[in-house]
Amino acid sequence: MHTQRKFRPLTFADVLIYAFMIVVVLICFIPFVYMLALSLSSPEAIINNKVSLFPVGLNFAAYEQIFTYPNFFKAYGNTIFYTAAGTLISLFMSALFAYAMSKRFLFGHKLVMMLIVFSMFFSGGLIPTYLLISNLHLTGTVWAMLLPFALNQFNLIILINFFRAIPSEIEEAAIIDGLSYFGILRRVILPLSTPALATIGLYTAVFFWNDWFNGLIYLNTDQYPVMLFLRNIVNGTTMVGDGAGAADKSTIAMSIKSAVIITSTLPIIILYPMLQRFFVAGLTVGSVKG
Amino acid sequence: MTDTTILSKTPSGTYVSPNPKWRHFRRYWQLYVMMLLPLCHFLLFKYAPLIGNVLAFRRYRPGMGPYGTEWVGFAYFERFLQDPSFWRAFNNTLILSFGNILINFPIPIIFALLLYEVRSKRFRKFVQTVSYMPRFISTVVVIAILGELLSPSSGLLNRVLGSLFGMDPIYFVNEPQFFRPLYIFTETWQFTGWTAIIYLAAITGVNRELFEAADIDGATRFQKVIYVTIPSIMSTIMVMLILNVGSLLSLGFEKVLLMYTPSNAMVSDIIDTLVYRTGLTNQNYSYATAIGLFSGIIGVILVSTTNWFSKKMSGESIY
Repeated sequence: MHTQRKFRPLTFADVLIYAFMIVVVLICFIPFVYMLALSLSSPEAIINNKVSLFPVGLNFAAYEQIFTYPNFFKAYGNTIFYTAAGTLISLFMSALFAYAMSKRFLFGHKLVMMLIVFSMFFSGGLIPTYLLISNLHLTGTVWAMLLPFALNQFNLIILINFFRAIPSEIEEAAIIDGLSYFGILRRVILPLSTPALATIGLYTAVFFWNDWFNGLIYLNTDQYPVMLFLRNIVNGTTMVGDGAGAADKSTIAMSIKSAVIITSTLPIIILYPMLQRFFVAGLTVGSVKG
Repeated sequence: MTDTTILSKTPSGTYVSPNPKWRHFRRYWQLYVMMLLPLCHFLLFKYAPLIGNVLAFRRYRPGMGPYGTEWVGFAYFERFLQDPSFWRAFNNTLILSFGNILINFPIPIIFALLLYEVRSKRFRKFVQTVSYMPRFISTVVVIAILGELLSPSSGLLNRVLGSLFGMDPIYFVNEPQFFRPLYIFTETWQFTGWTAIIYLAAITGVNRELFEAADIDGATRFQKVIYVTIPSIMSTIMVMLILNVGSLLSLGFEKVLLMYTPSNAMVSDIIDTLVYRTGLTNQNYSYATAIGLFSGIIGVILVSTTNWFSKKMSGESIY
């Protein structure tokens, strides 16, 4: 049956489907190729509308220029810090919470599960959250960026379900060997859970890497993450291309914007092919039903 | 001494209390300790703001705490219900949401069905991997790229339109009539591949025998999709529909904020941006909280009604 299916000749429908899929792949790639081309092209080529998918007048001036902005490096460093620290805090808290919550026999287990699920559908909203953060005096500190997002209900449910699927015999053996529950979590459960931890760790890392809004409402300028830096260039809050004449400004700004887009997205694009299997895992591991 | 009469010794050498509760805590206290810090964090950052919604019924005074000073009842609700800018934002939210669901609910299903028809497994895997990559790109980057692609002076799209149809450059991101299509299209670009994963997993789980039976009955490829695949993944489709309708009022707020320009405000001002503007920009905290709470409650009502409805109609529900 299978071999028969495999050697069936390509039909017209097949050709159409392949063509469609190739178009889909192109649509996903072209924006990045265009950004790369713009960032590597000379201002003359951009202003004369010569750049499409390949760089024209190849040069690295845009990159050289953004590397001279102290704010760019600062923002990039901030983002790296938020991503690393935020992901670590989140994994630590989630692992503790999810491990305890994977034990259905604990008192209050059902109630806490209900609290987790309910808060997915009804959240506090922007203003009460903002007032809470500012009344905790977190505004203007990096904690405003890290703490409020340390626990995510969706990631928790993924992890709880993963922990529940680990056979209880393994734990019973560890208890007989004299391990405490903390010991079991650290030495038995976490090493067995690297795929799930990698998945939620990646979701969290991507969240922190891409975040700009919380930086905008809670942080001072020197604490801004790189995405907020980019947003400020795009909407004109931060001026770029000041060294050039007014006429060149918009085209220089265009290649600089592209260079910032490329540099700030590069880690995701580079790591993506290597890590993509972990990205999908969360969708198949987690189910909303508690 | 009395202990020995109450407690009996277990093989591992510890005493076991006959009181089951006490025994439970003795044995599992570490698990409760483990939960303590994250649970407090969870209650603080997820439930304190929820309680903070009482601000919608109370007057806020700066420096007097996040929960306001005195009760004012439904005064803020009455005020925004008479405010035309609220109704504008309300309408914009509904139109944008319905438009978005109308386009972006079926597209991932169709994409998944087509992708499943791709013969080569390796090519299928490749397309899938590429297609959900945009999900991980920052909204800031998506909107920045959009701005450059659509730039009237040197954007790629205007040049293509100009050379193919001789059209004058259009300032897409500034024209109100393009705001909704651009919002919906960028959603398609960013999330089609990601959402399709769920449908593709469902399609892969369909019982092979059903297809073989359809083959024997002489069904064409298209008939198999219509009469076998789609009915088989109906439960997944229903669950996704509930989730979509339930989040009707919660649009991609950050994206709308990034796409907002004064010239497209009449279509791009949605409830969330109104809350942001009145609350954080104008510091009208109570008023903004009231609007936010109103839309949150509508959201909960929407989820539970669609869920109830779907349970009645097809037996599918999310809780």
